[in-house]
Amino acid sequence: MSDAKQIVAQKSAKIAAGAVVCVESEIRGDVTIGARTVVHPKARIIAEAGPIIIGEGNLIEEQALIINSYPENILPDTDGVEPKAMTIGTNNVFEVGCVSQALKIGDNNVIESKADLGRNVILTSGCIIGACCQINTCEVVPENTVVYGSNSMRRTQNEKPQPQTLQLDFLMKILPNYHHVKKTVKGSGALLRN
Amino acid sequence: MASLLQPNRVVYLVRGEKKIRAPLSQLYFCRYCSELRSLECVSHEVDSHYCPSCLENMPSAEAKLKKNRCANCFDCPCCMHTLSTRATNIPAPVPDDPTKTTMKKAYYLACGFCRWTSRDVGMADKSVASGGWQEPENPHAQRINKLIEYYQQLAHREKQERDRKKMARRRQCMPLAFSEKYGLGTRLQRQRPGAPLSNLAGLSLKEGEDQKEISIEPAQALDEVEPLPEDFYTRPVSLPEVTTLRQRLLQPDFQPAGASQLHPRHKHLLMKRSLRCRKCEHNLSKPEFNPTSIKFKIQLVAVSYIPEVRIMSIPNLRYMKESQVLLTLTNPVENVAHVSLAICEDDDPDGINRTAQILVPNTELVLAGKDAAAEYDELAEPQDFQDDPDVVAFRKSNKIGFFIKVIPQKEEDTDVTVAFKMRHDFRNLAAPIRPSEEGGDAPAAEAIWLTHHVELRLGPLAP
Repeated sequence: MSDAKQIVAQKSAKIAAGAVVCVESEIRGDVTIGARTVVHPKARIIAEAGPIIIGEGNLIEEQALIINSYPENILPDTDGVEPKAMTIGTNNVFEVGCVSQALKIGDNNVIESKADLGRNVILTSGCIIGACCQINTCEVVPENTVVYGSNSMRRTQNEKPQPQTLQLDFLMKILPNYHHVKKTVKGSGALLRN
Repeated sequence: MASLLQPNRVVYLVRGEKKIRAPLSQLYFCRYCSELRSLECVSHEVDSHYCPSCLENMPSAEAKLKKNRCANCFDCPCCMHTLSTRATNIPAPVPDDPTKTTMKKAYYLACGFCRWTSRDVGMADKSVASGGWQEPENPHAQRINKLIEYYQQLAHREKQERDRKKMARRRQCMPLAFSEKYGLGTRLQRQRPGAPLSNLAGLSLKEGEDQKEISIEPAQALDEVEPLPEDFYTRPVSLPEVTTLRQRLLQPDFQPAGASQLHPRHKHLLMKRSLRCRKCEHNLSKPEFNPTSIKFKIQLVAVSYIPEVRIMSIPNLRYMKESQVLLTLTNPVENVAHVSLAICEDDDPDGINRTAQILVPNTELVLAGKDAAAEYDELAEPQDFQDDPDVVAFRKSNKIGFFIKVIPQKEEDTDVTVAFKMRHDFRNLAAPIRPSEEGGDAPAAEAIWLTHHVELRLGPLAP
């Protein structure tokens, strides 16, 4: 999985064995990526205001932006601001062009294209945030919620979305054929789960 | 400035039964009456029915039987998108040997937009890909059918009495066969508002058919209503469970209040319609019969006959100061067009919306014909028009840009509106060319001059 010449982006990006992270993706800051996670080229994972811990089996597609940024009214130089860690669980899908600043994301969520998650949202598991839907409220989205439509209507579905195992397997085979992959660095200890 | 090209910036006035102002792209032109027509001054007739997702054509009788719904396609009850059939593999016991299980395909309906599935309402997976899905039956279906039969019979009887009276009055003048023509649906007798149940009375007159007397029990008014549950006011409402009004009213049979009772319904058919001028009864628009084709058999739209005015650029408009606005005029026909503009008189009833005075060029503008091959023909000589540079800004194939001067009259105007009359020549190529009396070549179609009232919305005054 990690054949080609690697470019270690930052000294503190820990990529577990079995993850496929393309070199063209931009990973800045203290980021931990779990096993069987695929990060496409041009995805951006930026840990400014704290570390980002990504679990296993996630699929982060092109131009997705996962950013742990400072809240708007706090300057980076202010003292007394502790870095908050952003945790992302397992089997999540971040589709093309989505923006996620949510601090806690559970398992089996799907964030569709161009969706926008604010910092104060906490996604539990099985949620589907529809395309172009914005959630910038301060709330915990209950399990198995579907947010859809131009007015971001919500409904609950009966079952969580299926994990994309077939897709992940296919990508883990094909992506290294066409892209250079970042070298895995064994992370210290077990990965943090929410 | 794409907002200047919005269609509703330039509207043309249609003088029909009502005065309608609409952009040229939404108007039709009856070339027999030589007048503009809008959607409200034409009669609409249904051509054919088709399903928008499977594009299947359906004859009108079959559509009426299926209540204008497609047999194969379903609508999501949650977001009204089209449902798609998905398959999963489930283990099922082999019929011969109950201990072994094989994978069988099970189908369920799923919506790609809101992720609703048929399993959400408890509908079991079907083993056939299509045709297995049933709509739930209306509990009041029987009563409604009986009521419809009773009223159909009543309307039939009333129609017969009316015909009998008419025949009795006009016995001498008209032969008997004319009474058959008094059915509604012919163009001689359009639907009049207030006609009682006329759409049910379309049954054919069959003399001698014995009609059974159908009687119905009148509906009974109940005094007691089912009481509300005890915790109705105290139980917290779970919003994802409650259906929206739109979801509820899409199923008027059941109007379910809970999301777990929303069943999918068959998709509504759309129709292709043809338009007909009310005065001369000629077809203005007749689409092709095939649902996959977007072409028209007859397409008399206004943009292909009337020169189109469009706004190109607007300077800063100031109260009581004269500014120059650049407009373009496009010639849709292949002949050279002559257009002259005139301002509206002060007492013109059509110019009510004006908020600015306008000065139009008083020379006649000449527009070259539309030549489809012009871009490929490099040797063509450009036609020489003597253009006054104060009036004509540029000229490009069949389009010219010209200036008008606008003086806003209203202070604090949020939308400066100007109006002018456009007079152009129109050659009716559809009229039959009569053999000329002089014996020479058949003359080109006579040019008639048409005048249109055009209004432009130029936007707010500059701050």
